[in-house]
Amino acid sequence: MTEATGVAGLEIVSGTRFVHIEDCRVRTEERLEQRRQRFASQLFDEDSAVVLTGSWGRREMSSESDDDYMVLFAGKRRRDARPTVTEAAGVLEAKAPGREAVFGKQVWLGDLLRKIGRDQDTNANLTRRMLLLLESVSVSGAEVHTRARRRLLEEYLRSHKDYRPPRFLLNDVVRYWRTIAVDFESKMRDRKGQGWGLRNAKLRLSRKVLFAGGLLPVLECHRYPASGMLDYLDAALARRPLDRIADAFMTHRAIDPAIRTLTAYDEFLGILSDPEKRRHLDALEIQHGGESPLFARVVELGRDFEAGLLALLFDDPALQRWVRDYLIF
Amino acid sequence: MTDWSTLAVGRNQYLCQITATLDITSFDHVSGLASHHPLGVSTGIFADDRGSWRQLVDDACGISSYVVELSALSGDELPGLISYLRSEPALPFRYLSVHGPAKNFDEGIVVEQLGELPLAVRSVVLHPDVMSDIAAYRGLGTRLVIENMDGRKKTGRTVEELASVFEELPEAGFCFDVAHAWSIDPTMELAHALLDQFRAKLRHVHLSSLDSNDHHVPLRGDDEQLFAEVLGRCTDVPWVLEAMPPTKWMSHRS
Repeated sequence: MTEATGVAGLEIVSGTRFVHIEDCRVRTEERLEQRRQRFASQLFDEDSAVVLTGSWGRREMSSESDDDYMVLFAGKRRRDARPTVTEAAGVLEAKAPGREAVFGKQVWLGDLLRKIGRDQDTNANLTRRMLLLLESVSVSGAEVHTRARRRLLEEYLRSHKDYRPPRFLLNDVVRYWRTIAVDFESKMRDRKGQGWGLRNAKLRLSRKVLFAGGLLPVLECHRYPASGMLDYLDAALARRPLDRIADAFMTHRAIDPAIRTLTAYDEFLGILSDPEKRRHLDALEIQHGGESPLFARVVELGRDFEAGLLALLFDDPALQRWVRDYLIF
Repeated sequence: MTDWSTLAVGRNQYLCQITATLDITSFDHVSGLASHHPLGVSTGIFADDRGSWRQLVDDACGISSYVVELSALSGDELPGLISYLRSEPALPFRYLSVHGPAKNFDEGIVVEQLGELPLAVRSVVLHPDVMSDIAAYRGLGTRLVIENMDGRKKTGRTVEELASVFEELPEAGFCFDVAHAWSIDPTMELAHALLDQFRAKLRHVHLSSLDSNDHHVPLRGDDEQLFAEVLGRCTDVPWVLEAMPPTKWMSHRS
């Protein structure tokens, strides 16, 4: 059956093809299936799930993408939990995790659930929780992963109103976006600008997919009574972030901005999939950013991408009132 | 030197400058169009200050400091503009477009000059009817923006005519001149057809009415109504006014 929703649905409605988005999805699904087959032969704890995030979660793998993963446990914290990080990395044949030590760890659902907004809710805890909700896919323990995401949503939705965006969840999604932006600056200072061009490019585009892909379904909760919100969000967040964004554009009949928004993102994925262009961005230092036509193009794409989303949020009367009343204060 | 920080920046202050004396019967579309963001002007509307880029920028900021199209419609204006931009003035605009020459120019020289525009210039608008060697413009890449023409021109007016241009310039964007489309087809079907075909390429909109000689004049009330639907398809891109804002968009000044 032809999918009439998400990015594929937008392609059908508009007669446009987003070839790089399609290619990345096919590539990602192939690699996910390879990894799932490897894990299928392993015997690990029943309450465990190996969860991939980032490009994996967005289904945007390129040959150069990192392997950001968590080993998630739904049960009680214990020393002998398996898989260990080493075991998981071995099955994944994963690249080394990033310096900031958010990934490549054993993660306990209890920590994600009980520390929301508290002093112990570190950047790492917030990041893991948000990525689990907004941009993750499992290669083992699919049911554990699915239940964990639902359990997190239940925690956010413990007290909320009918036909209103749930503020606790909304505030945490917005807080995460602002954290990403602040972290970018501080990480660049720590790294003395290493990798500035590529990270800046991802901030302008990929991270906005992450944010908007969470923000839009949360705002759409205004259509649901409290009793229906959990099922709606659970189903929505099980979809790929770009599909959620495409759905929002189509729901609000903003097809033209949708096409321009996704066309910009499609071209960006084409750039990231080109090893030479990706290397250029990764090597680009901030003092040379103004001299790079490629970076100038990425900036332009980021603006086009953002412009479409802003038009959706601010120019559609049905969303505008919720943006005004819920997004600022 | 102008202190840019004191000038109108962004939507709210801009609206303070052009708050409407609203016509209740046309409230929705008038207020909607007037409040579009981002919106700015073409410096071509300030004929008296032609050639003084510093002054033209000041004039434009008096209406909006968010979007501007620096208009070098005559070939002899372009070197001065390039020289001005190379001096790296601290421009406040978030969207900076340059309208390239449509008259009095040598094509080979102009193509080279346009290539010298700094990267801060996000769009370079050209008229397809004056482009003889279309392939020569490929070097402008994604910054090149092709504008649809009015009824006085020999080409570049219809979907088919523009499609042949974009076939040779696949990276170029589209500048949608609403009034030009209206001048070919007042039913606005052509306008919609242009957007249907080139919506993925849309970079910005040119907005005005036309007088009986097809010259750009401030947007008339009946055109606001007529254009509203097609402009509703362009809410995510900058609009560049090619004439002064309508009187009823401007606040009363004491």
